[in-house]
Amino acid sequence: MTTTTTTPFPFPPTYNFPPFFTPQPNTTTRHSQLEKWSSLIQSWCRHHRQYRLSLIDAVETPLFHNAALRKRLDLREARAIIDWMAKSEKEGGGGRRAEWISDAGGTSSSGSLGNGVGQGPKAVAWIWWRRPEEWADVLVEWVEGTGQRGSVLTVYELIHGEGAMSQEFHGMDIDIMLRSLNVLVKRGKAQIFGGEGQEGVKFF
Amino acid sequence: MSRRGVGLGAFANRTQATQSYATHGANLRSTHTASLQTQLSVFQSLLHTFALEHSSTIKSNPTFRAEFARMCNTIGVDPLAASNILGGDMNDFYFEVAVRVVELCRETRSENGGLIGVEECRKRVGKGKAIGSGLEVSDDDILRAVRSLQPLGSGFSIVKVGSKQYIRSIPKELNSDQATVLEVIQVLGFVSVSMLRLNLKWEKARAQTVIDDLLADGLVWLDAQGPEKEYWSPQNLLGDSG
Repeated sequence: MTTTTTTPFPFPPTYNFPPFFTPQPNTTTRHSQLEKWSSLIQSWCRHHRQYRLSLIDAVETPLFHNAALRKRLDLREARAIIDWMAKSEKEGGGGRRAEWISDAGGTSSSGSLGNGVGQGPKAVAWIWWRRPEEWADVLVEWVEGTGQRGSVLTVYELIHGEGAMSQEFHGMDIDIMLRSLNVLVKRGKAQIFGGEGQEGVKFF
Repeated sequence: MSRRGVGLGAFANRTQATQSYATHGANLRSTHTASLQTQLSVFQSLLHTFALEHSSTIKSNPTFRAEFARMCNTIGVDPLAASNILGGDMNDFYFEVAVRVVELCRETRSENGGLIGVEECRKRVGKGKAIGSGLEVSDDDILRAVRSLQPLGSGFSIVKVGSKQYIRSIPKELNSDQATVLEVIQVLGFVSVSMLRLNLKWEKARAQTVIDDLLADGLVWLDAQGPEKEYWSPQNLLGDSG
């Protein structure tokens, strides 16, 4: 994953609270802990413009390993947290803020590393610091704000184009871009055409 | 030398005297009451004017507010109850603080088991959520606000553990062992069973029971990654709104 920001990630106070790294036996406390982890993981990924998280890699990063406290989150606990994040709030989860990437990333055309090849199930997950529907809203807002409604753009342009340089979706994972665009297609607000790798999109 | 009346006439005289004393007394009393009432109403209106005149200072300056509240208290005027005298401002202020305290307690209940330090609470209320919405408040204001909730039967109370005051938003008593352990955590940052055995000369079973109870109430968090299980207070997590 490319890191676009150079400023260090500002960890919340919880990160320096030693019990944060131990699964809490009390269910109420546990819930609060899961919420805090979910929000930490989301802001971490957002800060690093990271869309997928490979747990095996992540347990060695500062996100899950607090070197100063010498505390770490083990793989099993990291999985438990992502599991919780992946569930909807109705199911007692964290509002589908994550999603396991089940097949080993074979459909990804972005060729990014850490896409889960050979890591088995529940190894890599999307982290939805914005869900595809939310990204769709962001895209619509940008398209309307820049008066590009009705015009045709390539997906490559959307992600890497100069026009959207300042946008949060700049440099976005192509899989997520396509998913977000598909949300718009379903809403009848966009149309995707062209073959794989050369998709274009028209906004209505 | 006066001579005691003799005969039947004396009875009549005495009743008359008592009556005139009584009327005189009543007269005196009513004049007193009238003058006191005038004084009181003058005082009330002065207090009212004062409160109105300085309402902005009362709102913005915690020291001034505390002094004002103390003055009201000494003369027997409850600044919270006496809204008609002091104008709605004082009331509104404390209710606003109270609302924020309740919000904060609810928000953080799953994190701290419904026990929150008055100081932490003040810092958080002072910060406010949105920009510019911070209220400058003192610990005294927080305590007053919590007390103003009592008539509602809200179950909010002030508990003192060691030298620190806490707001308890769950109507559950701490027993003395639990309070002691929380006090130890205040000083040392965390506790373990062996620390309790060593410092308080408690039996293992006693130490373990107290800790298990605190854990069950969500008042401490467990850290199992050290050589011995450690129990930490979540009080310092505040301000981490995620």
